[in-house]
Amino acid sequence: MEVYGRSKDMAQASKMQRERKKRWKNASPVPDVEDPIKELSKGLHLKNFQLIITDIKEVTKTTKTYRLKLAPDSELKRLPLFRAGQYLSVKVNIDGVKVTRPYSISSAPSDVLGDGFYELTIKIKDDGFLSLELFEKWKTGSIISVSGPHGNMYFDDLRDLNEIVGIAGGSGITPFRSIIHEIATQKLDLKLTVLYGSRYEDDIIFAEELSNLAGKLPDKIKVVNICSEPSENWSGPSGFITAELIKKYAGPIEGKTFFICGPQAMYEFLEKEIQSLNIPNRRIRRELYGQPDNITMNPKYLVEFKDKTFNITVRIGNKIETIKASATESVLVSLERAGIVVDSQCRSGECGFCRSLLISGNIFINDEIDGRRAGDKKFGFFHPCSSYPLSDLEIKIPSFKFVKFSPIK
Amino acid sequence: MSSTIHKSSSFDSSYDVVVIGAGLGGLGAALNLALSQKSVLLLEQHNLPGGFASSFVRGRFEFEISLHEMCAVGPPEGPLKGPIRYVLHDESSVDVEFVPVPEAYHLILTGEEHKINVKLPFGVENFIDTVCSAVPETPRESLVKYFDLCRECSEALTFVARSKGKIDFKTLMVKYASFLTTSGYSVAEVTNKFRFPRKTLDLLYPYSCYMGLPASRLDFTIWASLLHLYITQGAYIPKGTSHQMCSAIDTRIRELGGQTEYNTKVKKILVEDRKVVGVETDDGEKIKAKYVITNCSPHLVYGKLISPASAVPVEAHKLNNSRRLGVSAFVVYMGLDASPKDLNLESYGYFISPHMDTEKINKSMLQYENMPDLTASICLNNAIPDCSPPGTTILSITTAFGIDVWKNITPETYFATKNKFARQMIEQVSKALDSPISEHIEEIEVATPQTFSRYTGSFKGGVYGYDLDPWDSLVIRSQVKNKEEFFKGLEFAGGFAAMGHGYNSSLLSGRQAARSVLWKMKKEGG
Ligand SMILES: Cc1cc2nc3c(=O)[nH]c(=O)nc-3n(C[C@H](O)[C@H](O)[C@H](O)COP(=O)(O)OP(=O)(O)OC[C@H]3O[C@@H](n4cnc5c(N)ncnc54)[C@H](O)[C@@H]3O)c2cc1C
Ligand code: FES
Repeated sequence: MEVYGRSKDMAQASKMQRERKKRWKNASPVPDVEDPIKELSKGLHLKNFQLIITDIKEVTKTTKTYRLKLAPDSELKRLPLFRAGQYLSVKVNIDGVKVTRPYSISSAPSDVLGDGFYELTIKIKDDGFLSLELFEKWKTGSIISVSGPHGNMYFDDLRDLNEIVGIAGGSGITPFRSIIHEIATQKLDLKLTVLYGSRYEDDIIFAEELSNLAGKLPDKIKVVNICSEPSENWSGPSGFITAELIKKYAGPIEGKTFFICGPQAMYEFLEKEIQSLNIPNRRIRRELYGQPDNITMNPKYLVEFKDKTFNITVRIGNKIETIKASATESVLVSLERAGIVVDSQCRSGECGFCRSLLISGNIFINDEIDGRRAGDKKFGFFHPCSSYPLSDLEIKIPSFKFVKFSPIK
Repeated sequence: MSSTIHKSSSFDSSYDVVVIGAGLGGLGAALNLALSQKSVLLLEQHNLPGGFASSFVRGRFEFEISLHEMCAVGPPEGPLKGPIRYVLHDESSVDVEFVPVPEAYHLILTGEEHKINVKLPFGVENFIDTVCSAVPETPRESLVKYFDLCRECSEALTFVARSKGKIDFKTLMVKYASFLTTSGYSVAEVTNKFRFPRKTLDLLYPYSCYMGLPASRLDFTIWASLLHLYITQGAYIPKGTSHQMCSAIDTRIRELGGQTEYNTKVKKILVEDRKVVGVETDDGEKIKAKYVITNCSPHLVYGKLISPASAVPVEAHKLNNSRRLGVSAFVVYMGLDASPKDLNLESYGYFISPHMDTEKINKSMLQYENMPDLTASICLNNAIPDCSPPGTTILSITTAFGIDVWKNITPETYFATKNKFARQMIEQVSKALDSPISEHIEEIEVATPQTFSRYTGSFKGGVYGYDLDPWDSLVIRSQVKNKEEFFKGLEFAGGFAAMGHGYNSSLLSGRQAARSVLWKMKKEGG
């Protein structure tokens, strides 16, 4: 084969080698270190950044909204942007126990661009380990460590229809508040009907605010409050959110996408109701509810393990520690109790950030959400946030030192 | 249980070799070192192995992030068995299973000049038959010769790679003369000599998209080798996604006594007197090693990692600046709630474009008004039917952007920009295949250069190493390698190393880096 004649062809390779040398010689000596794509990335999500509480509002007796801005010493120019419906993973340190908790951002993305804040709206859980502490100790000026924004329950015009039916329970209203504000400021062109279930009337979070917004844009926003244990004065619908109520207030099922966000009990009740509506999978998006309150309620959990405790041998690199673990607590919680930090975000089994290696022993996996990859199942990896020990375990967890956990004082 | 020894440090104080990054290059390197009984520590900043070779789960779907098909795997036995099988199975006993891809590619050109819809098979003869019947004016003899030339170049490249920089020119002259006469030219320069009609080239060139360069700039030798290997050996994908393959390698490294640690970012490569002495992690732990193999690009290594920075010679920065960073990717991943049949998806891999003019295609990757012209789609179910639940389909659509194109995108315009391109890409594919895709989207995720940067830390989100121009070809890189070693004990592996990007090259480059270290250790009597 000849391209331009044998002698020229045979010289071509050396010619290119000289070309390379020439380019090298003539190139700029200034290190090329600017990375605009990395900068873009920092404007969208971060592994760890610090916020400061600038304002706290009591929304109901058991709920507060915290306004958060960039901490004064932050290197960031602006808060990472997000899509309405996403959450932050809050990292806190209570007396040496470092835990994370996911909280949906209840403010709108446009607030990041405007005044530069997020809001988190946190409801106390009666038996909660953390929320009560936060409620009492987070003050204006407190520094809060977070990662994110994370999460997949946002409106995507490639997938979702632009008529959304939201079904919310308790603190599950928070992502919808964000979406409603985006609609109100015309950043999102959607029609949204939210059916919002609360126990008592005075539990309804953002009752007035949301009804005002709906009043201003009646063709776009509708919020229907449903109380399960209302007082005599309550004139709205009562009971749980049923298929019938959904049809009554949201109209025909066709042409709509359903977003669901609420406590675990609500999902359990809704599952049957939703099934009866015959909505295709692609039209339903569910937010995670975090770790189940009581794993023994899972019908597949073997109750005989309920009172057992086990030892978990934990390897972090070459380090080895042995900790005690209850069979009814997730491995993640047992680790946290022992002061060992693993990365976690969703705490629901889905995001995969707590991925660890099970070297030996048996675990119960909450299979309601088993977000593990096929390869992880095959090679013995598990998600500690959704796994419970059924024997002594030996595990290997990835180190997780570079994230700050803000102390609660 | 209680008899465990409680150690207090995560790492040994020193290792024979530290490997930075568990992408395919790093995994390949650590695997070979562990196999050779060296103490090896593999450090990865993310919580997963694989880098781009990974997967993610959404709802009931697990998506393959980057792989379309692997080259150099070949059938399990016989003369066409490829080096990847040899390295992973025979040499290292890695528990990975490969599944063949059913056809080379399904090409659909939609423009007026050359409308065509043709499925090209594997096997040189079948391939040539199909080209000749789809484009009857194809000079068959020339095409046969072209494939002969590609075979010769491919074999020569293997020969050169095995010669470790000291090339035996005599053998080359005798056995691979055409390799010598085409080396240093671009694809266009050599291929033009065959005078194929434009329409024949349209059917021949689609794989060149995997190289990210137009025919006028892409080095002929690498192209010839790629075309030859794909068409003769066929293409394969690992069962259970690339993540499963990478987890298998990670598992094997640990079985062999290697240590792999995740969520552990290396902040510094420590050097003294132009010699590597160790690394320092993000949280300040120092680990001694005389050898470091890095899976990160020379841009990151010389620009950010070497410590002290003043130790980096200006020549290293100049070398980086003289080379061209390859493209970044843009991928739309979809889980669809209809079967491939109902979606009219009969093939595994589609190339769809208005035309197959590689110059024009390349140009279209340098703007961001509209999507680039060409997309490469994969319907995973057509290679692995049970990769998603019955009655569902996994479809991904990929295109590429020049490395600097996304630099003007801001967080404010980001979501809208990505959805605009994604929508255009879905429309292009739907129209070309008469497929009702958008009516069946159950899960969708869009990865942009920003996404790739975020998960792997790759410089500017590049996914394709350095461009393989004729002046930066594999052959030249292998010849100049020794002259471009600025630090003793430092080796590169992966897409930014000498062998270039792609699954097979990256994995094999890791092995090559490991061999190079082993050879140096031996020379030192270590
Ligand atoms: C995506 C997402 C978004 C959410 N958004 C919101 C929102 O916007 N607003 C809102 O109010 N809620 C929201 N939630 C719910 C919120 O995350 C939970 O209500 C919150 O995590 C409750 O925390 P808690 O610590 O009070 O209760 P729990 O998480 O139930 O705390 C109890 C757990 O802590 C463990 N524990 C007890 N003692 C210890 C110890 N000493 N050390 C370590 N562990 C211990 C227990 O075993 C138990 O598992 C959201 C949840 C998810 C998944
Ligand atoms: S924290 Fe998300 S899977 Fe465990």
